[in-house]
Amino acid sequence: MAAVGRVADGALSRSRWRTGLLLALPAIAIFALLFIAPLFTLVANSFRTQTGAFTLGNYERFLGDPFYRGVLWNTLKVAAMTTIGCLLIGYPFALYLRGRSPRVRNWLALLLLSPLLISMVIRAYGWLVVLGPNGPVASVLKWIGITPPQLLYNDTAVLIGMVHVMLAYMVLPLMGSLDRIDPTLVPAAKGLGAPAWTCFWRITLPLSAPGMLAGAMIVFSLTASSFVTPAILGGPKVKLMPYFVYTQATTTLDWPYAAAIGFVLVVVTTGLLLGYARLLRRGNGDVVFG
Amino acid sequence: MSTSTTEAPAGTAVRRGRLRLDGVRKSLGGKEVVSAVDLETEPGEFLTLLGPSGCGKTTTLNMVAGHLTADGGVIEVDGRDITGTPPHRRSMGMVFQSYALFPHMTIADNVAFGLRMRKVAAAERRRQVDEVIEMVGLGGMAGRHPRQLSGGQQQRAALARALVIQPDLLLLDEPFSNLDAQLRVRLREEVVALQRRIGTTTILVTHDQEEALAVSDRIAVMADGVIHQLDRPSEIYLRPGTDFVAQFIGEVNALDGTAAGPAADGYACRVAGVTVAATPVGEPPAEGADVRVYVRPEVVRVGAGGNGLTGSVRETRFLGSRIRCVVTTQAGTVTAALPFDAEVPEVGAEVTCAWRPSDASLTAR
Repeated sequence: MAAVGRVADGALSRSRWRTGLLLALPAIAIFALLFIAPLFTLVANSFRTQTGAFTLGNYERFLGDPFYRGVLWNTLKVAAMTTIGCLLIGYPFALYLRGRSPRVRNWLALLLLSPLLISMVIRAYGWLVVLGPNGPVASVLKWIGITPPQLLYNDTAVLIGMVHVMLAYMVLPLMGSLDRIDPTLVPAAKGLGAPAWTCFWRITLPLSAPGMLAGAMIVFSLTASSFVTPAILGGPKVKLMPYFVYTQATTTLDWPYAAAIGFVLVVVTTGLLLGYARLLRRGNGDVVFG
Repeated sequence: MSTSTTEAPAGTAVRRGRLRLDGVRKSLGGKEVVSAVDLETEPGEFLTLLGPSGCGKTTTLNMVAGHLTADGGVIEVDGRDITGTPPHRRSMGMVFQSYALFPHMTIADNVAFGLRMRKVAAAERRRQVDEVIEMVGLGGMAGRHPRQLSGGQQQRAALARALVIQPDLLLLDEPFSNLDAQLRVRLREEVVALQRRIGTTTILVTHDQEEALAVSDRIAVMADGVIHQLDRPSEIYLRPGTDFVAQFIGEVNALDGTAAGPAADGYACRVAGVTVAATPVGEPPAEGADVRVYVRPEVVRVGAGGNGLTGSVRETRFLGSRIRCVVTTQAGTVTAALPFDAEVPEVGAEVTCAWRPSDASLTAR
């Protein structure tokens, strides 16, 4: 009886597996078609000359040129600073939201998401007005008696514009992560003699690492690959990687070189994020993905 | 009363931990949750706050722990006023229903947390952590993370973490509620044995009346933010002082009558034309006053003849440890829980239901 049962079980699990695979097939197909295939095309393109022959020249050209290396460095710097900026503003905000009523939370979350409801171009031009030489920021500074510094067309302008958009991507995973922390942990730590700051440092912060990690990954990769905001607020002086992908593809029509620049960005960003994840994981046992 | 001082771990000061609450009040969200609670424990006592959810027992415990600040009244430990002291400057070992172990730390680090906060040197810390982990029966588990432990083991770890700081008071907030029935009973027996051994004054919050009766030196039955009755488990059970206490704990026969005056043993009253006796809780009622008599099924003796309520047996039911016998009397239905080996009357037989006056309580209605 038992043996029969086992055979039936085996057959059942096999047929179940097949059913599962069939059910997942559309998703796998879409994933392959929309994500894996383009990436392969991109990589393949980046190893070709304009005429289609195999070459390493595109990468030699990029990595051998101090100008392009500088662009890469600056792109990563802006992305890193945006990530840090979002973390510094977003963490206290998420912490504040944690203790609020659902009503307050919903309204504040809507406020947080509001920049995403406006077109990127309009939002960037808005900052152009705000930060411009006759804008409100400059006027206030002048009124106080300070000569306003150059606010536009530099890294700072890009940073401000990017943090504004990206904040939601940092706060939402952070909120999720903070919500998952058992609310009795901090009282437990307090009862054991930990003052508020120690509770935060040793309990809340390490346990919210998964949210920080997720938020930082999203913000960093979206910023490193963003085009519109840096293009408008950075002006002619600040040129980031996506800008060169764009010009190579549309102006110079050098698609293989554009592909190479794009792929360098993908590889470097992925590498940095993996290193960052590993660093966080080591710092907190294996709880980060738990 | 636990006054045992044997086998106390080195450095444990027994005979301290006298908690006093005086008129403690707390409102949450505009509603008064705790109204004027007075309470005083003996050092080393195991006291339980028992009541249904929303009765204010957990709020009271949180005020003792310092997680909530009392709106009024005074909280004292060993004569020190701690009403306004923040939780991290009190010395309370608290165990939560959710265990509240720090998931990113090993059991050893969890237990060591309080000692670290007290700046205990590493070697001494390790010694104490090992000792207390051994004491709660988690030897060999020190290096594991909380999620690698079963519910019962996690609760032991939480207990170790609370005890290692040698707290003034041990506060247990529904600590057994998340465990299955068998484990719950076993763990609570262990906790009681441990508490007797180390002599730390313990406040347990629970809604489980059986648990309260089993572990407590005294029970404070709470409802609607006030303590209805504070007494030894046997008193609470046999002589409930209010309708709430009588109904909340176990089954009860409530008989309405009028006070007739003091009797030889207890206090007499007339119930449906029959004179019965019980023990008044608090001030004896005035003669002629409306009173209610509470009689637990276990103390009702069913027999032929004698003084007491008479009636016919409606049904008898074998329940394993007890035999349930329902009698329709002139004062209404009386339920008796007869011992296993009792002579069980036939259904329809005329019987008398009687009890010792000291086993029943009498309160004003």
